[in-house]
Amino acid sequence: MRAQNRPWLLLVLLAPAAALFVLLTMYPLARVFLLSFAASDHGFEGARFVGLENYAELLQGRSFRRAAWNTAFFALVATVAEVLVGLGLALLLDRAFAFRRALTLVVLAPYVLSTIVVAAIWRAWFHYDVGFLNNALRAVGLDGVPWLFDPNIALLSIALADVWQNAPFCFLILYAGLRSIPPELYEAARIDGAGAWRRFRDITVPLLTPYLFVAALMRTLDSFKLFDKVYAMTGGGPGNATETLSMHVHRLAFRFFDIGLASAAAVAMILVAGTLGAAYAVQLLRSEAR
Amino acid sequence: MRKPIAALAVATALAVGAVEAQAQDRLVIAGRDAAFGTALARMVEAYQQRNPTVRIERLELPGGPLYERIALNARERARALDVVMLDDIWAPEFMANNWLADLDRLGGVPGTFVKSADAVSRNPVGTGPRFAAPMVGNVAMFAYRGDLLAKHGLQPPRSWTEVATIARTIQEREPGVAGVAFRGIRGNPIVTGFLPILGAYGGEIIDSQGRAALDSPAALAALEQFLALRPLAPRGVETWNATEVREAMEQGRIAMSAEFWPGWAGTLDDASRSRVVGNVNLVSPPGQTRGPAPMLGAWMLGVAADSPNAARALDFIRFVVSPENQKRIAIETGNPPTLAALYADTDLVRQFRWYPAQLQALENAVARPRIAQWNRVEAILGEHLQMALVGQTQPREALAEANREIQRALAR
Repeated sequence: MRAQNRPWLLLVLLAPAAALFVLLTMYPLARVFLLSFAASDHGFEGARFVGLENYAELLQGRSFRRAAWNTAFFALVATVAEVLVGLGLALLLDRAFAFRRALTLVVLAPYVLSTIVVAAIWRAWFHYDVGFLNNALRAVGLDGVPWLFDPNIALLSIALADVWQNAPFCFLILYAGLRSIPPELYEAARIDGAGAWRRFRDITVPLLTPYLFVAALMRTLDSFKLFDKVYAMTGGGPGNATETLSMHVHRLAFRFFDIGLASAAAVAMILVAGTLGAAYAVQLLRSEAR
Repeated sequence: MRKPIAALAVATALAVGAVEAQAQDRLVIAGRDAAFGTALARMVEAYQQRNPTVRIERLELPGGPLYERIALNARERARALDVVMLDDIWAPEFMANNWLADLDRLGGVPGTFVKSADAVSRNPVGTGPRFAAPMVGNVAMFAYRGDLLAKHGLQPPRSWTEVATIARTIQEREPGVAGVAFRGIRGNPIVTGFLPILGAYGGEIIDSQGRAALDSPAALAALEQFLALRPLAPRGVETWNATEVREAMEQGRIAMSAEFWPGWAGTLDDASRSRVVGNVNLVSPPGQTRGPAPMLGAWMLGVAADSPNAARALDFIRFVVSPENQKRIAIETGNPPTLAALYADTDLVRQFRWYPAQLQALENAVARPRIAQWNRVEAILGEHLQMALVGQTQPREALAEANREIQRALAR
């Protein structure tokens, strides 16, 4: 007899997963949500209800607005660059040529490094006086770039390090997508006289779109949580030019122990990430329905 | 069959008992990294040799994460730490929240400490019982290259405007040498770099009534003076912390440092590392409209209030601040002592020729505002100072905004 015909069995089978979900996801979320309406420096102990005061303070505070802008800007720039670089790598490595496997390994290498190692490598490369990048620029007669201490460049520099580390992830997804396109389509198009650009535009792009969407969405969600690279490379500076929402929440919660304000900021983050996640789920369900 | 099982059970019980008994004589120490970490590591090693049965675990953390670890441990009542190393500026918050044990009640710590460091280890300041023992007697000094100033016929600066003039002169005449350096990274470093200038101009962060006081002409003049040093500093000074300033001074790449902690000076006269042996002088910071305002930066050791091994923790602290170990720390790691008598010790004065000036600065040192919210106030000011430094905001706007946010933080 199928389990669907026995609801009690379904309940029993689902219970452990549901219990874990409630305990590890719903309970902390509910707690954060409730604390966002309180003035508290340590959970509910001694907490005082303040209504929407924390949200009002967040919106009035320049630090939060700047952190939100930095996060959105970083997520957009890093995601677009990572998907484009990943697509370029996938198109390149989808062709047969000598040392292709070796090159694939090299391309994937940054992705397996820990983020702190990546941050340490790039921090050294970005060093104004002795960094590899500025040495290379000076070798060709150009001036060094203040990669990490110019407020107009610092976030882009971190995005560059992020692209180096995470473009291989997009490459993996898009490469899998390319391999799933039947070669007969390209052969037929070639016979019909379609050039390389036309084949790319009319076959590759439409059939790769779901993969592009998945790669972009997963990278957006991950970029949105950016914390470790900023923490290790700039600490949020110069000024507040690289402070992200995650860093802002961390500072409020663990440096200032302003748990109410930190919870309100976290709720704002959850709302944005939840919206992106829902979009992903809807797209996934639609593609499954097709 | 029963006998072997019974024997096994007894053996297991004995083993568990032995492990538990041993585990009780243990010590978890949360301390700083860098030069402070080296000093603490040496002390742990020496204490372990003297007490081989004690299980010691030492956590080595940078300043920010150390604060977070101690504060979280105390708030969660985790009973995970025994000895904690703390910046003097964390003391008001830690003491007000009863996170530190009363050392006098535990048995006391002997020794005559330098007055300013002794005062901040008590609650209320200066008069109350001791909640921490000063381990490192740091005070912000001013450093200058005596050889370069003499070469160009310049006198040591007596004011911050003279600092800028001398820095400009040397920068023009000495290729490859920047006029002056400071720690520009946001948060605690830039704030501690700015405070001696603020004090010299008579500015305050918090006034005597406990209100934010940065929106003042004195503070604005101090900030403008601080920003005037930026073009005279090496490029990238906005990202400089202690390591960069110390190395630049050791390698002869800067003529002066607006802030130089004695803890960084241990290797200045070490020919294997330094290119400026005997050429760097450490003195009290310059004044301006007021006299010099050297800033106290003592690091202390306390016993966590919920420590399960408080007696052992106190014994370790007494060991570290004993005269022989304070002297050993100074000689081996360059960290300045907190026992007043050691500043006249002939061995130490021979090795650290600036000790008489340092003791004078230490005796006159100004402690940062003793408020429980200092951590937040410092973060706010540090952010706005750096925004002004990198040109994201104008000085007046930076101070006004910092003042507003600090006032709000004080009211929370």
